[in-house]
Amino acid sequence: MAIRQIRIIGDEILSKECKPVREMNGRTRELIADMFDTMYDGNGCGLAAPQVGIRKQIVVMDIDDGNRYVMINPTVLKQSGTQTGPEGCLSVPGKNGEVTRANYVKVKALNENMEEYTLEGEGLLARCILHECDHLEGKLYVEKVEGELYDVEPEEE
Amino acid sequence: MTKQSSAREIALDVLLEVQEEGRPSHVVLKQALDKYRYLEKQDRAFVTRLAEGTLEYELQLDEILNRYSKIKVSKMKPLIRALLRMSVYQLLYMERVPDPAVCNEAVGLARKRRFEGLSGFVNGVLRTISRKKEDIAFSEPWLAYSIPEWMLSMWEHTYGKETAKQIAASFLEGRPLTVRCNESLAPVSHIRGELEAQGIAARSHPFGEGLLELSGYDAPDGIGEFANGHVAIQDPASALVGRIASPTAGSFVLDVCAAPGGKALHAADLLAGTGMVEARDLTEYKVSLIEENRARCGFLNLRTALWDAVKFDPELLERADIVLADLPCSGLGIIGKKPDIKRRIQETDLAELAALQRQILKTVWQYVRPGGLLLYSTCTISRQENEDNAAWIAETLPFEKRALGPLLPECIRGKAKENCLQLLPGREPCDGFFIAAFTRKRI
Repeated sequence: MAIRQIRIIGDEILSKECKPVREMNGRTRELIADMFDTMYDGNGCGLAAPQVGIRKQIVVMDIDDGNRYVMINPTVLKQSGTQTGPEGCLSVPGKNGEVTRANYVKVKALNENMEEYTLEGEGLLARCILHECDHLEGKLYVEKVEGELYDVEPEEE
Repeated sequence: MTKQSSAREIALDVLLEVQEEGRPSHVVLKQALDKYRYLEKQDRAFVTRLAEGTLEYELQLDEILNRYSKIKVSKMKPLIRALLRMSVYQLLYMERVPDPAVCNEAVGLARKRRFEGLSGFVNGVLRTISRKKEDIAFSEPWLAYSIPEWMLSMWEHTYGKETAKQIAASFLEGRPLTVRCNESLAPVSHIRGELEAQGIAARSHPFGEGLLELSGYDAPDGIGEFANGHVAIQDPASALVGRIASPTAGSFVLDVCAAPGGKALHAADLLAGTGMVEARDLTEYKVSLIEENRARCGFLNLRTALWDAVKFDPELLERADIVLADLPCSGLGIIGKKPDIKRRIQETDLAELAALQRQILKTVWQYVRPGGLLLYSTCTISRQENEDNAAWIAETLPFEKRALGPLLPECIRGKAKENCLQLLPGREPCDGFFIAAFTRKRI
């Protein structure tokens, strides 16, 4: 288990487009395992490779629906509906903000074994997929926030 | 992306702060609800009910856990302890949550909080309790009412077994929010009309027409008549202090430990724009609470000050017509509202608090002008802090007892003993509260 350092907003890598993964190898497998550890450690439900400093199109997600998703080189195929709600990001610590996104999304991606699959998500899963895919294009949710970011860190009396 | 905490996880964090770090439950809960603004109304209600219920029943829940778990509650990891307590509360007292959901959610939370290795233990204990819950019974009344044994036996000793049970049982029952109308700002009939127009039912309390029990509101902040200062949140017992004080126009009233300001606001309202009320408290935070309430009601005859009541202030020597001394106390009368008092207050604290109260009284009596009124009050039910201190005032300080009977609402007139009144929740329709009245001798 290795927890990697999470890059924080302001770090250049978070605003860069990521490169597609060409082949699976030991290093990439290790990266994926570390990304899960890092995500769980930070109480996240999704993490993209640039957030740990790697410019590759890799995303891990676990929204407590019993699945551990890995998306490599994802492409959004379809979006519909809207949802507005709070969102936060491990690269923007202690903050949340309201974001409107599609309520349904269909993506195509590769799994850990570089096999293509499609994933459909609604509600939270759709939100998480879109949030993470944005990372791969160098976008953060803060650009999409309606109103102000607000603190979610515990306050002292 | 980060996870949004579920209602259960928020309740769990509230419990951890209250039970493991000893912070006051009402403060922690309010902070949590402020922080997680995205929660739906029903989730907010769920968090509140789960956190408060678990605290109310903590002693009983621990007993059950100790019966069915091979690891004793005291040996558990803090997170697992809080998680199991709140899960058993749901199994026993939240009938609308199905038992399997309670178990699954608990297991999920254990995993999420990185106690993967204990998730089997959590599951096992909860499923056993779920299966055996019909057999769970308590022979000891203190366990049945989930109240510290010493507290119940202290009340049994003073008031008898039946009344002690009534008190303990009252803490487990929900009670309506009571507000006091600021009648100097609007007539009660107008306030009632406005409340009803907002869909809030208001019923007059037996202690007075201007005291209204509300139902059908979401959050107090959302009540229009609260936002505009026409009503203030105050328990009917505490409102008796103002009624007894009945300041005449132009009086100077000093409240030495005023936060959040209920009695000071009441006094300012009774003065109807005349005189002055000075509301003091120990910390800036507490003073800010009074300020907030003052601003809402817009009273110009109320001012606040930061002052430690233990310290003598020569400026005020014999200045006040009325001194309100509602002093820091064990709070045993308001356990229904602040259930963590059950866990915070130890029997030995009562003597310490009684001593602190005397120390403050030794200072603040000097602010009462000759012929003026001293009202000593607490929101507790303990002889040491209440009757004993009242007797001490009469014996040691230059004051005469002032009979309370004629000043009280008819329904509780018979409860006064000379200048003292002890209200008991469950017996009277209000918080547990004590008031003693004294007039300063004219040398």
